[in-house]
Amino acid sequence: MTAVIGRTPGSAAKTGRGDPPAKARAGMRDDRRWAPLFIAPALIGFAIFYVYPTVRGVWFSLTDYSLLGAPDYTGASNYRQLAHDPQFWNSLKVTAYYVVVNIVSQTVIALGLAALMHRLTRSVVLRATLLVPWLVPNVTVGLLWAWLLDANLGFVNHLLHSLGLGGLSFYSPTWAMPSVALVNTWAYTGYTALLFYAGMLQIPQHLYESAAVDGAGEVRMFRRITLPLLRPILALVLVVSLIGSFQIFDTVAVIYPHSPIPATRVIYYYIYQQAFSYFHMGYASAIAMVLVVVLGLLTFVQLRLLRASRSDLA
Amino acid sequence: MLKTPGAKAGRGVAWVLLVVAVVVTAFPFYWMVRTSLTPSADLFSDAGSLWPHHPTLINFARVLGLTSAQRDRAAGGSGAHINFLWYTLNSIIYSGVIAIAQTFFCAMAGYAFARLRFPGRDALFGVFVAALMVPPIFTLLPNFALVKDLSLLNTFAGLVAPSVLMTPFAVFFLRQFFLSIPRDVEEAAILDGANRWSQFWRIVIPMSRGPLITIGLTTTVWAWKDFLWPLLVGRAENTRVLTVALGIFLQQSPNTQPDWTGLMAGSTLSVLPVLILLIFLGKRLVQSLNFTGIK
Amino acid sequence: MRHHGRLAAGALLAVALAGSMTACGNDSGDAGGKVTLNYWLWDDNQTASYQECADAFHTANPNITVKITQTAWAQYWQNLTTQIASGDAPDVWTDHVSYYPQFVTSNQILDIQPYVQRDKVDLSQFQAGLADLFVKDGKRYGLPKDWDTMALVYNTTLLSAQGVTAADLTDLTWNPTDGGTLQQVIAKATVDANGHNGLDPAFDKNHVKVYGFLPEFADGSQGQNGWGDLAESAGFTFLDKNPWGTHYKYDDPKLADTINWYKQLIAKGYSPKFDKQSTLGRPAVMDAGQGAITFAGSWEINSYLSATAKQKYAFAPLPTGPTGRKTSINGLSDAIYAGTKHKEQAWDWVKFLGSAACQDLVAKNAVVFPAIAEATDKALAAHQAKGQDVQVFTDEAKASGGTFFLPVTDHGNEISQTVQDAIQSIVLGQSDAASGLKKANNTVNAMFQ
Repeated sequence: MTAVIGRTPGSAAKTGRGDPPAKARAGMRDDRRWAPLFIAPALIGFAIFYVYPTVRGVWFSLTDYSLLGAPDYTGASNYRQLAHDPQFWNSLKVTAYYVVVNIVSQTVIALGLAALMHRLTRSVVLRATLLVPWLVPNVTVGLLWAWLLDANLGFVNHLLHSLGLGGLSFYSPTWAMPSVALVNTWAYTGYTALLFYAGMLQIPQHLYESAAVDGAGEVRMFRRITLPLLRPILALVLVVSLIGSFQIFDTVAVIYPHSPIPATRVIYYYIYQQAFSYFHMGYASAIAMVLVVVLGLLTFVQLRLLRASRSDLA
Repeated sequence: MLKTPGAKAGRGVAWVLLVVAVVVTAFPFYWMVRTSLTPSADLFSDAGSLWPHHPTLINFARVLGLTSAQRDRAAGGSGAHINFLWYTLNSIIYSGVIAIAQTFFCAMAGYAFARLRFPGRDALFGVFVAALMVPPIFTLLPNFALVKDLSLLNTFAGLVAPSVLMTPFAVFFLRQFFLSIPRDVEEAAILDGANRWSQFWRIVIPMSRGPLITIGLTTTVWAWKDFLWPLLVGRAENTRVLTVALGIFLQQSPNTQPDWTGLMAGSTLSVLPVLILLIFLGKRLVQSLNFTGIK
Repeated sequence: MRHHGRLAAGALLAVALAGSMTACGNDSGDAGGKVTLNYWLWDDNQTASYQECADAFHTANPNITVKITQTAWAQYWQNLTTQIASGDAPDVWTDHVSYYPQFVTSNQILDIQPYVQRDKVDLSQFQAGLADLFVKDGKRYGLPKDWDTMALVYNTTLLSAQGVTAADLTDLTWNPTDGGTLQQVIAKATVDANGHNGLDPAFDKNHVKVYGFLPEFADGSQGQNGWGDLAESAGFTFLDKNPWGTHYKYDDPKLADTINWYKQLIAKGYSPKFDKQSTLGRPAVMDAGQGAITFAGSWEINSYLSATAKQKYAFAPLPTGPTGRKTSINGLSDAIYAGTKHKEQAWDWVKFLGSAACQDLVAKNAVVFPAIAEATDKALAAHQAKGQDVQVFTDEAKASGGTFFLPVTDHGNEISQTVQDAIQSIVLGQSDAASGLKKANNTVNAMFQ
């Protein structure tokens, strides 16, 4: 079933274009009447909660606005301030660091897990178990690990120490961000693994069978068959999780009883702090604006790579 | 397949790795439950033992608002009144309303973009897709200002407003699916005199149960986990959802020592509905991932 | 199935609408003249005492109910600012000298001077100087509720095991260079896993069982729980003038020296490393028997001397620094939200909080020292009745030239974050004290331009 869904859009689009002209005209008359009804709710929602706030956000970013008074136009001054704000650059930097650690570890482990499941078992119970951390709110995940890694009372911390592995700590400048990143890796790896697994299920089984007949081992089959054929899905998952990863907020917001230390004061938190602790809504909007541009560029680059990997396969 | 001793050993190692993954996934939840059953006075002495020495349900009683402030303080709490049952209900309403309404409205729009012909259709769809690129925080700040201006803070209406009518992703996803449905069926219906609405409602919707459930479930999970927006817009008791309640519970801990046993009891309660969902819908949920992954 | 779905959707929407409707009706309404006031404080140890005040107030004013919400200090200000941004702040909140100015600047606190004059509130009943901390340009932004000073608290069992007596602690000296006799005591009190103390050449700083001194580095821009008091005793001052200065002096070398003194304590193994920080506060770590000495504020008396404390503690005066013994003296106030719908009722509550009726109740529970001078004496008596020796806090408060006020300026929230970040990064060895503090100081002073 899933495989069908995955593949059909292209073919369906083709059948869709083959309308007999007479009916198309008949439909045309009808649709002008019906379209507003179908589109209206989504369009209203889009206009009020996407378009209007986008315009307003750009406007805020050009003002001195405290949320308590009226916005006061100040031109590009927020952006000028931004360029010289070490805290802003720091938050951008640590967020990028988080994204790299999180995405790399999550993708690698998820790939491995998916490959193991793919070659060993179809168990739904196993898959459902791996999915649980993804279903749990990040707030709960953050609390759970703040507790497990507490320097005095945390169980995992005790365990790591008794194994001679100090390290994970939310307050060491070296380890704080990797610790946070690994917490979210824990939360999202199962989910990512299931996405990869779904992709692997679409790889024709006979490829593996004939490779086995040729005497290929599992590792070789993974490298020669699984990885290349999974590339489009791999790329797609990367795009989606990368954008999502930049939005880390909940986890650090609960792990740190005070505000996060500079090593983990991610961009979302900094925006939140500027807007709601310091009443600098205008400045916060300017930071958000920069984030839009950064993410836009990243998406663009990634989509280019994605397209490249697709044509590679064809 | 050929079974050499090496391959057998390999499979053994592979199974061990899978078991490790399951343990790593599940253990933190075990520890959460274990802590929630521990009296807070035992936190220091019991820190390393796998089983609470004096198991108790007091922490659950506390987070369900069943004890007095005095008893709560004695058990490591701050004495604040909390009721996680109420917050769970709020979370269910919040995610339920959003999931159902959003899926429905986005199906309508997705259908229009896939099937109806009207001027400006593709341009409009292009704008919708472009909105996929805008990070939520950018619209979150002005949306907060808007909900505040409309005096909808701390109301369910304000809470669900930005996502109840649509998200660009759901429209995009469902439109892609509707494109894949063969037109023949609908055309037969047109010949029978069915209008667009009844084609949509009688034919397309029933044919699309899989993707609709996928989008519905994904949206439910997303709303269930949502924190920042409800934190800003719905902190008050009457609209407080589970995630916000946990955050506030953490904030209202005693100053010198977070109320860890109470927090873990609250966390357990926030995981419980998810487990129930998984038990009843596990197969659906696991399968639905196949759709979203591929889009 | 489909019908069920529709029914469910309808039901949920109905519930949501009902919810949003009750939300409007629920708004601490005036129904029948009854008013509910929301009141915020951060110290969970004080909730019970102020609840008694609230109950007494309700008895006297049956139409007004006070709902108390406690939020831990760590998140108090962020919560408050978020609520203020939502236009939904508590009617009355406990306020702090370093944080209230930003609310004055943004017009969020009600000027109560007209009410004070109208009701002829006697401001002379408060401890000297407290009421004036909340005045700017002739406007008054709060009534004093309590005051606090700092002292050292120590674990008597652990110290006497190392041969340190109470007498050794009454006249400690301190300087940023070698730490004076305070450092000697700290070294002696530090014990490693083999039972060697910090003065023993065999002392193993990597396996410390009891730390001689627990520092506080999450202490904003004031360092009230340690570095601020010590630096002042070395001759440091925060500001060009207090209150309402506009130029901070965090680049003073005396402050850098003080922070460096803390750093060497960590390096020698006498204090825990900052990155091994737990979610537990210092009192909890002291209670676990993992610390021998730390700073304590007078608001913490009860958590150390109460019957439930797991260790035996006593208080000692702060050490005498190069320019004498200096403790911060800080007063809290109760402020009224400018946007409250119940100004008169809120004022009645604040007036009650600042009256002998409420402060005597608080004094009786011996939780904090109330702002009214007479109530302070009652609190002291209540402590003595419980057999608690807390004289050092009041003695320090009375010593002439021995106290200083925490900085009162605009931008408190931002300054706290900036200075706290700088000090933590110095302690972690990411920057050196002099340049780190200079940079922070520039950032802070730039906020006033």
